[in-house]
Amino acid sequence: MTPFLETCLAIALGLLVLSLALATFRVLKGPAQGDRIVAIDLFGVLAVALIALFALWMGQVVFLDAAIALALVAFFGTVAYARFVEHKAARQRKEDGDA
Amino acid sequence: MLEAYQALIGILAVAGAAFCAIAAIGLARMPDAITRMHASSKAGTLGCGLILVALALYFPSVDVAARVVAAILFLLLTTPVSAHMIGRAIYASGEKLWSGTGRDELRGTKDDPGERLNG
Amino acid sequence: MNLLALNILLALAWMAVNADFSLTGFTAGFILAHLILWLARPLFPKERYFRRTWGGAAYAIWLVKEIFVSAWAVAKGVLGIGPPIRPAIIAVPLEAKTDLEITLFACSITLTPGTLTLDISPDRKVLYMHAMFAADPDQLRDDTKAAMESRILKVLR
Repeated sequence: MTPFLETCLAIALGLLVLSLALATFRVLKGPAQGDRIVAIDLFGVLAVALIALFALWMGQVVFLDAAIALALVAFFGTVAYARFVEHKAARQRKEDGDA
Repeated sequence: MLEAYQALIGILAVAGAAFCAIAAIGLARMPDAITRMHASSKAGTLGCGLILVALALYFPSVDVAARVVAAILFLLLTTPVSAHMIGRAIYASGEKLWSGTGRDELRGTKDDPGERLNG
Repeated sequence: MNLLALNILLALAWMAVNADFSLTGFTAGFILAHLILWLARPLFPKERYFRRTWGGAAYAIWLVKEIFVSAWAVAKGVLGIGPPIRPAIIAVPLEAKTDLEITLFACSITLTPGTLTLDISPDRKVLYMHAMFAADPDQLRDDTKAAMESRILKVLR
């Protein structure tokens, strides 16, 4: 690994850590549920990117399998959360209508 | 030659991470949930894809390339689905759109998901 | 789609003849078989297989190019150095009819940054899209239909 590549990987890692921090900020701040799902969805993608970068850095291609598995699971998590929010909104509206 | 090849890998990795960072900056800066999602879901996917391509170039073998292609295809297939789900959930939850939104040709029509899910 | 089956069968034959049961062998066999079938295409006058595969590949390349171009636009919008963002929700009347056509169109809209499919009406006649740079919504609606929907329909029909 050339020094240039090593520098590039360090910069990339720094950028990803910054991204994770910003996504964490959005999860904590909200303000609405929708913003949190968006942030958590980005978490999944960032984690996959981070694992891929880690595999590159370590020269261990086995981590790629972990990245693929995570991409799968994160997708289902996002879909489940989005459905939950949608149904909660519908229930809320119904209760408001009954009241 | 090897130098140039490794430099290409490095540049791809930094470009990918930069797109991820843009996605996260958009997440922090954009005015409402849907515009935040514009920045986050797609720039994030593109950034992740670029980093995966860098990984495939670093390990030049067919099975790594196949797995990387599978991972990228998977990202490209799932991103629109989850973006669509999130977008509809945000819209149906009745959250206010940003005041700068130009026109809204969905709210109040018979197709409004907020109204539709009621029944 | 039995040309696809034939193509795969020929690729398997290639693997067997070479005793090379690997992904590389299959890919090479598949490409070779595809070229041979393409040369023999007057034998299958009514087949849409070639238009679908070649058109599909061309569409995929165009889509990737489009993703990069518009990701750049969104990146500038996020960093605040490009044109200011003007979001809008636009109703796009659908010409696509089948599930495959509508799904491809909706996914293409979502994948190109700057536009996003929000919902499709239950009667499948209208697609609602949220756009980030919609200073002129009618223009954007026409562009999306002309650039994307017509391409998809040309490949699939």
